[in-house]
Amino acid sequence: MKTLAVVVTTSPYSHLTITALTYVEAALVAGINVIGVFFYQDGVMHANEDISIASDEYQAIAHWQRLQQEYQLPLHVCITAAEKRGIACDSIDNEKINQIFTVSGLGELVELTTKASRLVQF
Amino acid sequence: MSTLHLVRQSAFATNDFAQCLSVLDHQDSIVLMDDGCYNLKHSLMDSLIKRVDGTININVISSHAQARAIETLTEINHIEMSDVVELTFNHKKVITWQ
Amino acid sequence: MTSTNQITTPDYPKETGLAIINSKAPFSSNHGKDALDIALIFGSFEQKVSLFFQGDGVYQLIADQDGSLVSIKDYLKTFSAFEFYDIEDIYVCQQSLVNRQLEEVFHIDGVQVQTSSEFSAALNAHQHVLRF
Repeated sequence: MKTLAVVVTTSPYSHLTITALTYVEAALVAGINVIGVFFYQDGVMHANEDISIASDEYQAIAHWQRLQQEYQLPLHVCITAAEKRGIACDSIDNEKINQIFTVSGLGELVELTTKASRLVQF
Repeated sequence: MSTLHLVRQSAFATNDFAQCLSVLDHQDSIVLMDDGCYNLKHSLMDSLIKRVDGTININVISSHAQARAIETLTEINHIEMSDVVELTFNHKKVITWQ
Repeated sequence: MTSTNQITTPDYPKETGLAIINSKAPFSSNHGKDALDIALIFGSFEQKVSLFFQGDGVYQLIADQDGSLVSIKDYLKTFSAFEFYDIEDIYVCQQSLVNRQLEEVFHIDGVQVQTSSEFSAALNAHQHVLRF
């Protein structure tokens, strides 16, 4: 079974994220079991509900949401990295966390890494 | 096949591509993507092509090179993102140089 | 030589665990700390994790540094806890040291200085690689 875990460290306003999204979608289309995307470092900015990107620019968050809904793709956001960037406070119900993301710790990355046959970082 | 190297930075800006080449094994493959496409015109690429003499599989994502108006080389394979997914599972591991 | 006498190539041990390549100097970015946090979590979950230092990443290992002089909480001190997390394999690229005119003097014990081919082989012994 081809299982893939992906780590995203770039923000929704970084053009590098478009490459990550294109890759993950290509994997899903190819029938690869993408067991999760782990957002770390500036990648956690994706979970910020308040992010507003001009409508004529690439909507990274909307694309993650689309993949999450179409393929039940698990999206994990690292809580420590998120708090550092003012996204989560004390509760997982925090309004600032976009609901398409699961609030996780680095332990989730351990889990994904041990389960996946390939780990790819973007 | 052993390692797939995803090169995302221009060697004119960072040392990443040089570091990638220092651990490159003869069974590895390289994919140039994002600003990594600029490495097609870097002297490191010339010497790599001379050194490996066709034994290393070197690829560039067509749209990423074309978007940057980079002329490509005959020694380089032009691929799409779906090919990168396939390469991911043809190799034992992936290292991203970004 | 008959085929029965032929020495069969030993199977390479299956690649296991996570390799983390550190490529950034310690004080101007969070990359080193972010990588360290991952290493410690893997260690505390008893998962094999090895650390590789290459390029400017080698500056994370050099002795006598003091982040407090520039108001930085010195995460490098945590490196001395590696043995408690069973993080035993710490590799540094010799050529990166030479290029930076650095001596092989580190602030922790057990650092293995390696040529490019040794460094590459050690990296290849792992199943997954992250780079910071």
